[in-house]
Amino acid sequence: MEAHRRTPGSQTSLREANRGRIVDAVKKYGGLSQIELAGLTGLSPATVSNIVKELSGAGVLTTAPGTRSGRRAQNVTLAHALGLVAGVHYSTRHLRIAVSDASYTVVAETHMPLAKDHRADSELDRLTLLLADMLESAGAGMLDLLAVGVALPAPVDQRTGTVARRGILRGWDGVEVADVLQRSLKRPVFVDTDANAAALGELRMGAARGKNDVVYVDVGDRIGAGLVLGGRVYSGHGGMAGELGHTVIQEDGPPCECGNRGCVQAIAGGNALIQKLQTGNRGLKLQDVIVRAMAGDSDAIRAIADAGTAIGVATANLSNLLDPERIVIGGELGRAGELLLGPMRREVERAVLAGTRFAPEIVQSQLGQNASAMGAMAMAVDRVSLNADETQIATSQIATTQIATTQIAAEEHRE
Amino acid sequence: MTAYDVSSARDELLDPVISMRGISKSFGHIQALRGVDLDLYRGEVVALVGDNGAGKSTLVKILAGVHPQDSGTIAFDGENVSIPSPAGSQDLGIATVFQDLALCDNLDVVANLFLGRELGHGPLDEEAMEQRSWELLRQLGARVPSVRVAVATLSGGQRQTVAIARSLVGEPSVVMLDEPTAALGIAQTAEVLNLIELLRDRGLCVVLISHNMADVQAVADRVIVLRLGRVNGRFRAPEMSYEDIIASITGAMNLGDRKPDSGGAK
Repeated sequence: MEAHRRTPGSQTSLREANRGRIVDAVKKYGGLSQIELAGLTGLSPATVSNIVKELSGAGVLTTAPGTRSGRRAQNVTLAHALGLVAGVHYSTRHLRIAVSDASYTVVAETHMPLAKDHRADSELDRLTLLLADMLESAGAGMLDLLAVGVALPAPVDQRTGTVARRGILRGWDGVEVADVLQRSLKRPVFVDTDANAAALGELRMGAARGKNDVVYVDVGDRIGAGLVLGGRVYSGHGGMAGELGHTVIQEDGPPCECGNRGCVQAIAGGNALIQKLQTGNRGLKLQDVIVRAMAGDSDAIRAIADAGTAIGVATANLSNLLDPERIVIGGELGRAGELLLGPMRREVERAVLAGTRFAPEIVQSQLGQNASAMGAMAMAVDRVSLNADETQIATSQIATTQIATTQIAAEEHRE
Repeated sequence: MTAYDVSSARDELLDPVISMRGISKSFGHIQALRGVDLDLYRGEVVALVGDNGAGKSTLVKILAGVHPQDSGTIAFDGENVSIPSPAGSQDLGIATVFQDLALCDNLDVVANLFLGRELGHGPLDEEAMEQRSWELLRQLGARVPSVRVAVATLSGGQRQTVAIARSLVGEPSVVMLDEPTAALGIAQTAEVLNLIELLRDRGLCVVLISHNMADVQAVADRVIVLRLGRVNGRFRAPEMSYEDIIASITGAMNLGDRKPDSGGAK
């Protein structure tokens, strides 16, 4: 972190760096007393006290009297006067939760690995408990939560609120996720596909900012796309839009979970990659494949490049259909960077009718693994400002706090 | 990086760090383990599951140097070794975190981490130990407010983190965790599971004993099922399901029923 701070040596830059340290620590650990902050950041208690006073004056932090080990203490949390939103991303093997204020300043984050074929009942219970825990650590309660956005790794039918096609996410079939969660949290809940959420996330605060026509490609165990057309996320009539992974690119290819043969996902999805590289008895994960490729293992590099080519063929077809301005690559395999993007770019530039000069730019996701959770958060903010009256007033206040939070945003940017 | 470096790095990952063959152990007339074969690799999480009395703890205790095996061989990095004592196990690079954590409640975090291997000759080098403690805890993303508070004041998840951090002081290559998520709340369980993934990503072999199938499925790359002292099922992450694992634990399905190539250590 320190290595990225640019201005060297001056008193002001030191002060700025120290402010950054304190905000980072509060963000990471939730509510902390000033003494704990001093221990964590290595700053003197006096410096911490000064900076906290300054930042709470600017509306970035709030302090509340509390006790730690029986002594009086100032409990420091991030300010969230406008209420909070939560973004939840269930991926095939991971759960990510982010809680932020209405201007996307994240106040608490949690993630954990999930079992394969996780089930809606136990996972939604877990979410309720984790959320309560996170809100408490941020010095808030369930009532401060304006809305919750949930992203699922399967197409979601907005008409029924359930997973649109049975068999993709077996433990969640037929569950009206928003309804169930609304009942246990007593807060408004909105559900969408993770690729759509990630596309919205990149549109609001990531690599697709300021663009109107964008395709977000999520490459991991699943391959999916989130389509942004005319500045809005397009999910189709029944929520099935953007199922890029089920584009058939090889008619006699390997069978896919959807029942077809030769889908991109069956050729270039995470499981296909792992099967290709699995040797010996040691367990292998998608992340190991990336690590091996980065370390120069030629088999792994080749497998990722082949995947990039296959996904590139499908993406090129999609580009000819939609003519996007930018294509953002995210998901677990998206972290492989140019190893994956290079071959994709070659395929797309070769096949796009607009020609190499006007071919869509292919860039890596800026939000990375957090894209869907952040997008789910953005989804909650978007919908809630349409529905609730109180936030109409609140949005006018956002402008004022925005000034105070730009600093945090800048910190985040440098990370 | 030269081609030679790459190949040696791969060999290290492909060869087992611990290879156990035909391990048997009996206590009096109770046969706890009967001819167990097990290979453990760097950079993976292996879960040992089974009913009470299946032999999971005995197997871990043999590796931890608590009990010597009656028969069978243990190879560490390809060389046959004997593990006569817990110290011998630690010297090999095997760290064990037992269910009760074995932390000293009245000592602070630093003292616990370095108990028995304090830094400094004569006077203790408290500063170096404190620095190293913070370093370890930061690596583990631990949410411990201070390293100078008594362990008694920490939460269950924090105590588990401290116990795991202590096991890492000796830079081990294998970490064995006995029921790390039992008696933890949901947020602390998340913390410990993340920690297990972190250890795995740092290239350690993590052996996990747990009765919680959701936790096992969440982090394990391989699951070894023990039943009545024998290995009754070996599953690799992509092909394991709750049903198969439970069937193996209860004995409704035996190893012989499955294809011999799947997820096996042999």
